[in-house]
Amino acid sequence: MAHTKDIVYGLYNDEEDLLRAVKKANEDHLEIMDVYTPFPVHGLDPLIGLSESRLHIAGFIYGAIGTLTAFGGMSWIFTRDWPQIFGGKPHWPVPAFIPITFELTVLFASIGMVVTFYVINGLGPGVVNPTIDLRITDDKFCIAFDKSEVNAGKAESFLRSSGASEVHSKTI
Amino acid sequence: MTYDLTSKTRITLIAGMLVGLLCLAFVWMGDDSFHTRFWGNILHNATFFTGIGLMAAFFMSVSITAWAGWYVAFKRVWEAMSLFLIVGCVLILILGLATFFDLHHLYHWNMEGIAEVGNPNYDRIIAGKAGFLNKGVYLIGSMVLMAIWTFIVIRIRALSIAEEKHGSLNDFSYHYSMRKYAAAFLPLAGFGSAFVVWQWIMSIDAHWYSTMFAWYTGASWFVSMIALTIMILLFLKSQGFYQNVSVEHFHDLGKFLFAFSIFWTYVWFSQYMLIWYANVGEETIYFRERVDNYPALFWINILINFIAPFFILMRNDTKRKMGSLGFVAGLVLVGHWIDFFLMIRPGIRHTAHEALGHGHGHGDAHGGHGHEAAHDVAHGAGHGAHEAAHEVAHHASGLPFELGFTFPGILEFGTFIGFLCLFLYFVLNRVASASLSSDTDPYIQESIHHHT
Repeated sequence: MAHTKDIVYGLYNDEEDLLRAVKKANEDHLEIMDVYTPFPVHGLDPLIGLSESRLHIAGFIYGAIGTLTAFGGMSWIFTRDWPQIFGGKPHWPVPAFIPITFELTVLFASIGMVVTFYVINGLGPGVVNPTIDLRITDDKFCIAFDKSEVNAGKAESFLRSSGASEVHSKTI
Repeated sequence: MTYDLTSKTRITLIAGMLVGLLCLAFVWMGDDSFHTRFWGNILHNATFFTGIGLMAAFFMSVSITAWAGWYVAFKRVWEAMSLFLIVGCVLILILGLATFFDLHHLYHWNMEGIAEVGNPNYDRIIAGKAGFLNKGVYLIGSMVLMAIWTFIVIRIRALSIAEEKHGSLNDFSYHYSMRKYAAAFLPLAGFGSAFVVWQWIMSIDAHWYSTMFAWYTGASWFVSMIALTIMILLFLKSQGFYQNVSVEHFHDLGKFLFAFSIFWTYVWFSQYMLIWYANVGEETIYFRERVDNYPALFWINILINFIAPFFILMRNDTKRKMGSLGFVAGLVLVGHWIDFFLMIRPGIRHTAHEALGHGHGHGDAHGGHGHEAAHDVAHGAGHGAHEAAHEVAHHASGLPFELGFTFPGILEFGTFIGFLCLFLYFVLNRVASASLSSDTDPYIQESIHHHT
């Protein structure tokens, strides 16, 4: 790994404790490195300063590309490239295109969003991401501080006083 | 906290109802001898608003059955909307009796001797459906269903009021009782709504049928119900009530408005595409008629019931801003009323023309049914050559513009406003008759802290 971080983190048993602790850290001007939870916690995003995701805008654009690909593609094929008559319908049977256009819109939007999500988050096959504590994917809620950003002793005492059930240090 | 129906609101709504009555009176005066436009207006608005009440009851039952809690803060609004089925009973009774005693000619199947072999009015296709499409089933069937629905809705409301008086936060006993009624209501509303839709609306085009029609109409009702819920809640909030109904609740209602607009489009389009693709004469006549003679309404329908809600409500923040949400709610409410206009008016126009003995009306109603050609020729022989020629010329130029039939006129919109005010008056009156939200509903805390 290019560079490592020395971190100190606390594990909480409940998301309510976590939310209270994050609020308190903000009041104490302690710079939180990151928060890890086993499931999305309502109201957490604005507290740790995350802005609204722009993934759905990308999704809309991918979807629109899918719409144009399907509709434009079929229109070109059936009117210019290889006109055929199916069941006595015109060469440009718009209602018959709608289901396929819908399918390709969904396909492009979903695949595009998955790929974008993986690329932005540095995920994908073969990528190893450090896991702070295995239990943060199960039942623990974690607040982590970077020791180069905050005073380690101050962070530890904050974690203990705000109700963390465990406090550990680690190099990741 | 209890809502108080102020005299100002009361007077405004009563004025709206009077406008509706006045418009109906004007329609009655300038009408044909069967008062087709008048009865068309009654049928159109009565079914539209009764269906909205039915869908409120349906969605409430779904929520009760599924242990949903998010809506509980404003559940009184849905209870009040579902109680509109009581008024619906009266409206449908009027329609049923008028059908029974031949006071109008909205339904082709209701013509004298239509199922009687040898009668000049005999129609082979409709005779085959006479077991379902007849005066008795129309009146008795509709009224029995309406009575059962209304009974369940009143019981759920009574239990909800009793829960507030005698229940407590941890007491689910009232909820369990409500749940039994709600669970019984679901299949009754599911199958029953198809029955009434076929009877009240689809049977106007008696030769035609579509297996998707009940879904399509039901989706139309559902979207209108959500739109009216949003508008009633916005009104009550603007009056200073329902402060615990937050932007989160509106966000979810907005999602329902968005999602069910798409569902409506899905069913509408599926019905259209299957008929277009199969290209069977007896099915295509329905859309041929509407695309050729009602093109503006046909495309407006798609524009304001699909394109507008789809693109406006797609973003997160437009569902959370009351301006955009309220605008779309009002738009699709009118949009689905226009949708009902398109379902009802073309058919009753033909039936009326036929009943009045206009040659072209008759020709239009039958012309599309290829397998009936022999019958038509035999039947049409009496009409004479010049009428046949007239019919050809008539087809070439399309139907003449006729206010109230090919396009909703001022009087139609006035009647709509009258019925809307009747609906709102009744609903707000019921909302005012109980406290706005129950503090003892087991789900009230979940609802107040609802977060999307």
